[in-house]
Amino acid sequence: MFGRARSESDGPMPVGLAHTLEEITRRYRKREAIRFESQVITYRELEENANRVATGLATLGIGKGDRVAIMLPNIPEFAYSLFGIQKLGGVAVPFNTMYKGREISFILKDCGARAIICLTNFANLINEIKEECPDLEHVIVTGQRTLVFIDPNATVNVQMVFEKAQLPDPDEAFRAIGAVLVETFQELGVKDAWYKHQGAVRAGGGRKLATILLSEIENLYVSNIVAFLKEMDTEPLFKVLYVPPEIKDKALEPLTSVEQEAGETVALERFRDVLVEKLSRRLDITIQPGKLTRDELMAYEKNRALAHKV
Amino acid sequence: MAQWRVIYNPEGDTADVVAYGAAVAEGRIAGKYQLSTTAVPDTVIVQRSTRKGIITGADVRVDREAARDAQIEVAQAPRQGRNSARAVGTVPLSELMAKGSRKLDAAPVEPDEPAVILYTSGTTGNPKGVTLTNRNFHFQLNTVVPSIIPFTHEDRVTGVLPLYHVYGLANGLIASVNSGACIILVPQYSPQNLLDAISDHNATINVAIPSMYQHLLTVARARKTSIPKSLKFCVSGGAPLSMTVIREFMGAFETQISEGYGLTETTSSVCCNLAGEGYKEGGIGRAADGVEMKVFNEENQEVSTGEVGEICIRSDTVSPGYWNNEEATRESFGEDGWFHTGDLGYVDEDGVFFITDRKKDLIIRGGFNISPREVEEVIMLHPKIQEAAVIAAHDKRGEEIVKAFVVMTEGEVMTEREVIDHCEANMAPYKRPKIVEFVDTLPKSATGKILRNELRGETTDKRLIEREV
Repeated sequence: MFGRARSESDGPMPVGLAHTLEEITRRYRKREAIRFESQVITYRELEENANRVATGLATLGIGKGDRVAIMLPNIPEFAYSLFGIQKLGGVAVPFNTMYKGREISFILKDCGARAIICLTNFANLINEIKEECPDLEHVIVTGQRTLVFIDPNATVNVQMVFEKAQLPDPDEAFRAIGAVLVETFQELGVKDAWYKHQGAVRAGGGRKLATILLSEIENLYVSNIVAFLKEMDTEPLFKVLYVPPEIKDKALEPLTSVEQEAGETVALERFRDVLVEKLSRRLDITIQPGKLTRDELMAYEKNRALAHKV
Repeated sequence: MAQWRVIYNPEGDTADVVAYGAAVAEGRIAGKYQLSTTAVPDTVIVQRSTRKGIITGADVRVDREAARDAQIEVAQAPRQGRNSARAVGTVPLSELMAKGSRKLDAAPVEPDEPAVILYTSGTTGNPKGVTLTNRNFHFQLNTVVPSIIPFTHEDRVTGVLPLYHVYGLANGLIASVNSGACIILVPQYSPQNLLDAISDHNATINVAIPSMYQHLLTVARARKTSIPKSLKFCVSGGAPLSMTVIREFMGAFETQISEGYGLTETTSSVCCNLAGEGYKEGGIGRAADGVEMKVFNEENQEVSTGEVGEICIRSDTVSPGYWNNEEATRESFGEDGWFHTGDLGYVDEDGVFFITDRKKDLIIRGGFNISPREVEEVIMLHPKIQEAAVIAAHDKRGEEIVKAFVVMTEGEVMTEREVIDHCEANMAPYKRPKIVEFVDTLPKSATGKILRNELRGETTDKRLIEREV
C-alpha cells in the first residue's frame, strides 16, 4: 500500500471542495495547478479565478444550494466553474458535452439548474430547450470551439445583418427568421418543417434541417444560418478531428436535408429566390441584388486574411 | 418600405463564409467606418463553397496535415473579444469573471449537503442524478484515493478523461487538486494528443481507460516516437484491461498499471488491482481503505468465497441516493447502508473481487443463467474477431436466446457459420449464440463500457428534439 498523499504534520483536510482548494492554495500558492496547452495556472490563479466565477454568479443571484450545470470539455474554465460553484455552497451538475436535445432538457429540468455554463457554440442547443426548463435563468458561455462543416454538395450558408430596431425583441427576431426558413423549406417540399425556440428548423421526427444562430452587436443583429439541401458526407470531418469510432454517431446531431425530406434536389438559385421572397414578405421589405461596398471590401480582405492566419 | 440587399456568392470558399458576414457587420457598426457617405443597407448573404471545409473557433485545434490530405479547407472564425457579437440570451463567463472579485471565503458547508450531481444513464428510461455530498468527496479523496493511487504534490497528472464523468472528476481533477499536484488538461482526446501531453509535460501519473492504453501503445510504436518514460504510475478503469496490454504497456513505458473499480454512486474508486505482487489477472482487486465490499445473494445474505452474487458496497464514499428519485434510491441503496451495485461477481480466498456480469445483462435460457461475458470471452478467442458483445434476444416463443454482435479484425472476412462453429467447439450447447450480427463498431460510453441497452434496441434517440404541441 502507498503512503498518504501528504505528511501527517500537514494536518487533516477540511470538508468541502472549496475549503480543500483554499487549504491547498495556502500550502502551494505558487505551484502549478493546471497546465493547458501553453498556459500554466498556479494554485493562486486557480483560486482567484474560482472566486471570480463565484462572485460573478452571485451577482446573478446564485447562492447556497443552487444547482449550476456545467457543459464544458476539459478546459481551465471547467475547474474555475466547479470550484466557483463550491465556493458559494452551490451544487455543480457537470454533464456529457455530447448530450443533445432531450438528454439535456431532462437533466436541466430534473436538477432544477438555475444556470448553465457551456461552450459558446452550445448556446443555441441550450436556447432551443430553454423554454422547457422553467428554472433555467442564465446561459453563461465560454470558449471558442465552434465547428461548422461546409460541404459544397450539401450545405448553404446564409447570413443576415440587420438593424435591431426592426425587431427589438430578440425572441421576435428569432421567430421571424425561423418562420422565413420554415416557409422556405415548405415551399421547397418539406411539408413538416417546424421551428423550435431560438435554435433550429427541424423535420423528419426532430432532425435538424437548418441551424440558426442569432448574435447581437451594438445596434445590429447578425444571424448565421446553415441549411442542409442534401445529405452531408460527414466522414471527412472525422479525418480532421479525431472522434473514437464508437461514439461518432453521438458527436453529431441527427441531421436531415431538403432532398431527404422532399425527395427532390434543390438548386441553390431556387433556394435563394424562395428565401428572398419569404423574407421580404415576412419583414415587409424589398430586397435588391447587391455587392460589397468599397469599405466592406477592405473589411472582407482583412477578415479573409485573419481566417487563414492561424 | 425598407430596402435590403441580397449578396449571392455561389462559388466561394470556406474563408468567404467567415469574411462576408464579418465585413458587412463591421461596415455597419456605427462609427467604425467613416469613409462612406451613403448608408449600407440591411443585408442577406447566400453563399456556397466549392470545396469542403471547416470553420473553427479560435480555441479548436485541427490536424492541418490531415485536413490538407483530405482536401478540407480550414478557416478560423474571428477571436471573440469584449466588443464582439454575442449570442442573444447569453452572458459571457469572461464578463461575469471580470465583474467578480478575486477574493472570497468559501461559504460554510455541512458534510451531508450535496456538492455535485452526476447523471448516469440507466438501461431504460431517463438518466439518474447521483447526489454526491461533501462527505463523499472528502472520504474518497482522503481515505480511498491515498490507498490506491500514490498522488503527491510533485506529480503531473494527465487530465484526459472527461471531467463530467466521476472517474475524471474525482480521480483526476479533484484528486490532483487535493494533493497539490498539477493536472494537464487535454480538451480533445486523440491517441496522439494524449501521447503529446505525456511527453511534452513529463506526466508522472496517467489516469485513463483501457482503450487509451491500447491506443497509446499502438501510436507510440507505429510512429516510432520515442516512448516517454516519465510515467511512474498508471490507473485504468471503466472496463477491464487485457493482460497482454498491461504487460506490453508496462514494458514499453517502464511504468506500473493498476486497474481500479468504482461507480458514480461510490464517488469513483472503491477497489484496485495493484500491479505487482498480489495482482490477479481479471480481478478488480481488494477493497480500498475505508470501504466494505461483500457479495450478497438474492435474499441479501452474504455468499461464501467463490460463489457468484451481487457485489455490494458500504462506505462514506457511497452516495446517499439519486436526486429527486426515491424509488430508484430504494431499489439500490439499502437501509443498512449497503449499496447494491448491480454488478455480479465473487470474492476469492485472498479477498480479491472478480466481476462476472451486470445483473440486468444476464441471459436466462431454459432456467439456466448464461453469462454474456463468458460467451464473449470465448468468441473473442477467435483470431479473426476483434471484439464481441452478447445480449439476450427473443425467439418466436418469447424465450431468451443468445445473440452476438461481432466486430471483425481489420482485413478479415468471416461468416456467421464460422462464429457458431467456433462457439460449438468451445462452450456448452445452451450458451451458444443463435444469432450473429457483424458490426463495424460496438456502441460505448465515455469510459469505454459497451452499451448493451443500445444493442438490445431499448434506447430511443434522445438527441432528437421534441416538437412543441
